[in-house]
Amino acid sequence: MPIQLTSQAYCKMLLHAAKYPHCAVNGLLVAEKTKEKKKDGHSGPVLCVDCVPLFHGTLALAPMLEVALTLIDTWCKENNYTIVGYYQANEQTQDSRPNQVAQKVAARISENFSEAVIVMVDSSRLTMSCFEPIVFIYDHLENKWKNREVTTDAFEDWNEAQKITSALLVGRSYENLIDFDNHLDDLRNDWTNPAINKSVLDLC
Amino acid sequence: MASLSEMYDVGWEEMRDKLRKWREDNCRNSEQIVDVGEELISEHASKLGDDIWIIYEQVMIAALDCSRDDLALTCLQELRKQFPDSHRVKRLTGMRLEALERYDDANKHYDAILQEDPTNTAVRKRKISILRAQGKSTEAIRELNEYLEQFVGDQEAWHELSELYINEHDYGKAAFCLEELMMTNPHNHLYCEQYAEVKYTQGGMENLELARKYFAQALRLNNRNMRALFGLYMSASHIAASPKVSAKVKKDNIKYAAWAAAQINRAYKLAGRGNKDNKCSIKAVEEMLESMQITMS
Repeated sequence: MPIQLTSQAYCKMLLHAAKYPHCAVNGLLVAEKTKEKKKDGHSGPVLCVDCVPLFHGTLALAPMLEVALTLIDTWCKENNYTIVGYYQANEQTQDSRPNQVAQKVAARISENFSEAVIVMVDSSRLTMSCFEPIVFIYDHLENKWKNREVTTDAFEDWNEAQKITSALLVGRSYENLIDFDNHLDDLRNDWTNPAINKSVLDLC
Repeated sequence: MASLSEMYDVGWEEMRDKLRKWREDNCRNSEQIVDVGEELISEHASKLGDDIWIIYEQVMIAALDCSRDDLALTCLQELRKQFPDSHRVKRLTGMRLEALERYDDANKHYDAILQEDPTNTAVRKRKISILRAQGKSTEAIRELNEYLEQFVGDQEAWHELSELYINEHDYGKAAFCLEELMMTNPHNHLYCEQYAEVKYTQGGMENLELARKYFAQALRLNNRNMRALFGLYMSASHIAASPKVSAKVKKDNIKYAAWAAAQINRAYKLAGRGNKDNKCSIKAVEEMLESMQITMS
């Protein structure tokens, strides 16, 4: 089942990785809830319209992750979204495979959305120009997480995503990106990132 | 391009003070340090007095973080000129090699320093950092353990070890490291709170109760620690929801969770004041707390 990333989802993932280059980072991917699942199964690709950056540094502790999942789940219900995936950029840039944390969170997401995906960001290829997509998309098939080939089809509009992400990286917008960790440090920090969302819209 | 001081209307003293604050807080905001430090060094070097040497060191390390080898080399050369035989400066040379990923050269360089000065803890820790950078967690853990047998009071090292253990999902050993830190720093709410998170992650009723106690302790030490507050709420809720606890334990934990929930709501309302956009967060929190109440009863 194909997923597609919007420019907003893609650029916020990369901004998160760029803000903390020395840390592992992770977050959730959300899509709009579709009304019915067509019987023939060809309901089109799931469009990840947004992502919520979660943590940076130590990803392997449970309590704040549970809080984040529950809170974001509630937020999703308000906005008619579903959590459909999880993204992670590893601390080791040479290694972009989903580790135990990624698999555990994705399994949890799969309880509510059977075709949850893991998106791994390949930080080793992160550049200002963003000339190529630097994500790996993993699907859960036959009890294993399998890497799927990523082409520009994985994006709603690759050219737009590339242009916007590059512009925001050059403009150092990642300094203003808020993740859930930042929110826990100061509740006034808004993890929905309205300012960045607006910048994305302005650049569209 | 306008200079920082023009853009933000700050004088060189403020820039110098900012750098000092970042040094003291051990912040890793390398891009900012490079921006401020580079300008300070190039425009105001003469005014800085002896501060300039520590600023060179700080800016050099930040420059390595930002792949600004040109700037790093400039700072390093100034430091080498001023302190030709210093091991502290030699360590910086090693760090530059690390930044260039010339790990073998860096290790040789560090070994040479250790030959002359086997007690140089900073250099020993760099060698362990190289192992971590190369992804050799097992070796890093082993070396760090050996280091801590000799230098038992090195808090930075205990914390690094706890992180390494957490990344390897060895929560028991991570907890041990945090216990060491809590013993020597009984007033540090962050260690308490991290310990509680590790215990919670380990799971099981005993660990959950311990987690709740340490979240509560962290709150006593700092009543604005949101992680501790959420942690208290989550652990008390889970205990209360468990079918294995006695009625009294259930009742007590419902009370703790309810208290925590009220505090969380209050904290969000305070934060949301004057900020219309945050209403969504407040609502989300209220609903989350309500939904968990249902699972408890």
